[in-house]
Amino acid sequence: MQLIVNITVLAAIYALLACGYVLIYRVSRVMNMAHGELAMLGAYLLYTTASLFTDHPVGAIAAALVLSLTVGVLVYVALMRKMTGQMVLAAILTTIAIGILLRGVIVLIWSAAQQHPLQALKFSNPSIELIGGARISTCAALMVLATVAVYTALFVFLRFGRWGMRLRAAGQNPLLAAQRGINLNAIYALAWALSTLTGSIAGMLIALDSGLDQTMVVIGLKAFAPALVGGLDSLLGALVGAVIVASAEVLAIHYVDPLLSDVVPFLVLIAALIVRPWGLFGTREELDRV
Amino acid sequence: MLARALAAALAAATLAYPASAQDAYVIGVTGALTGPAAGTNGPPIEGLRLYVDRLNAAGGINGKKIQLTVLDDQGEPSKAAANAKRLLTQDNVSLLVLSSLSSTFAPVIAETRRANVALMLMGAVCPKEVYPPADLLQFCTTAYAGGYDSRATLAFIKETAKEPVRIGFAAMAIPLSRGEIDYAEEQAKAMGMTPVDKEVIPPSTADYTPFATKLKDANPNWIFSWAPWVTQVKTFEALRRLGWEGDYITWAHIEAESELARLKDGKFYVIGANSLFQDNLPIHKQIIEEAKKANIRYPAEQMTEGWIGGLVLEAVLKAGGWPADAAKIRAAMENVKVDTQGLRGGAIEWSKDNHFRTRQYYRVYRWDPAKSAVAVTKDWVAYDVK
Repeated sequence: MQLIVNITVLAAIYALLACGYVLIYRVSRVMNMAHGELAMLGAYLLYTTASLFTDHPVGAIAAALVLSLTVGVLVYVALMRKMTGQMVLAAILTTIAIGILLRGVIVLIWSAAQQHPLQALKFSNPSIELIGGARISTCAALMVLATVAVYTALFVFLRFGRWGMRLRAAGQNPLLAAQRGINLNAIYALAWALSTLTGSIAGMLIALDSGLDQTMVVIGLKAFAPALVGGLDSLLGALVGAVIVASAEVLAIHYVDPLLSDVVPFLVLIAALIVRPWGLFGTREELDRV
Repeated sequence: MLARALAAALAAATLAYPASAQDAYVIGVTGALTGPAAGTNGPPIEGLRLYVDRLNAAGGINGKKIQLTVLDDQGEPSKAAANAKRLLTQDNVSLLVLSSLSSTFAPVIAETRRANVALMLMGAVCPKEVYPPADLLQFCTTAYAGGYDSRATLAFIKETAKEPVRIGFAAMAIPLSRGEIDYAEEQAKAMGMTPVDKEVIPPSTADYTPFATKLKDANPNWIFSWAPWVTQVKTFEALRRLGWEGDYITWAHIEAESELARLKDGKFYVIGANSLFQDNLPIHKQIIEEAKKANIRYPAEQMTEGWIGGLVLEAVLKAGGWPADAAKIRAAMENVKVDTQGLRGGAIEWSKDNHFRTRQYYRVYRWDPAKSAVAVTKDWVAYDVK
């Protein structure tokens, strides 16, 4: 039973991070290589708001979420907007530069010392006993719930929401969407905002569960594998990819060798790319162009 | 604000303090200022800078200032190699200081060998090459050191355990951490303990629970972890969340003091070679004051490793005289004795054969629930370094 819980929690982490990659790629065909840094920044923003509003944890969390959304919009407006219409490679390189910049800024502002937003919020993180003697920490349980909530909200938003439909339209055919009066810049800014928000939620929950340090950047990069396995332009794919990669990783740790946990996501990725290069739920046409 | 942030980011991208003057001691530093190991390897560099700034403000050494050129390697071997090459060939540093993960050692050592410049490990684990008979170019001021740490830890466990020891191990998937835990496993067997599990955890782990689950399932009553702090403490916290109630002992990295107070767990021990600031020695007060004046980004208690590095650097440069080149500095390093003023259990003494120290001292601390404070559990124990 504990194994199932471990797989669920790891899948939730990967899924929440992977949907950020998908949102941006789906709309603009850009792979955001700064996603891990943006997730980490979201967690640091929570640490700051928690330190500022010591007696208002809900307010601190709300402020951190709003700030994360704002960061996403600002990254697009200040930097990525200029990449619109340019080669996709240039945009990807820009995201790499943003990642380097953010890493430096974070160290300069908050230092590289491990921080504990949970303490700053005056929360505790007790374990919850589940059936079969399995245990899950409160923050890990929240991670699973948040993943379910975020994916449900995104499915509803993209399927039925007006802006969601515009977002899909811009992703399918930007030229046609623009000719139909859709403001592409607003759509791209929305995608960056949502992507940064979901990444930040993941970052905040990881930080609440096990502390905040620079390893989050690498965790963000690891979540790229599930996104690719599922198909970079499919939210359902990201979810399925996260479950597959997390299952392989946890089972490898338990039954084979813990050292394999670093390699397994990429072994799964290679296997998936051999069988279905566009990912399990991805769009074939897009990869044919690559 | 934006301009300030951009300027700050630009500084972070290079993190270099250029050394242009010919009229100064030029010391190169490469370290993990960012990246997964930055929490452990960044503060020693800050501490060294704090000490050097203080020396420079007082007129320098032998009437000359010290210029530190600091580069960030993010704990990555390729970046560390590039940094070392640049510092040794372009900046012509007389001494290279390394504070990074052990995976960066091999390429940096290769560069120092090519340039024939001494390498001082400070805040990075001491490799066996600094023990007698020491490698010509490698020196180490860091508290932790392969082999001795495990021996001291296991001796403490044996002395403290009230029942037969079933011991589990946790390491990070980096060369020296793995090597040390393998060594500890063999030592534990020789000391009559029963090793039940060993987890080698990659640095990029998103959730430590799967590793902790395996450790817990092996049913150890003691666990020893010797790795960067993130691995040590995250494994411990995951174990507690799973309901494991055994004793956990781990290396007292610079983060240990504040973490003991955060965790408040009477069965979480830290063993180390540095005294903690709760001892409130005059040197601790001085470091706190200097850190406050300099408005540093890390807690003052994390400056110990860098401060000790500064003490040694001061002694070496004084002995090296002026003008100083790499050969003179290396020669001076072979005959150094530095009083650590209570930051360690004894002096740091280097000779031609021993680039570590002649005696290594260990102390164990834990959170004492009765006193509601960090307390010494076992006072200084010395090991002769042979």
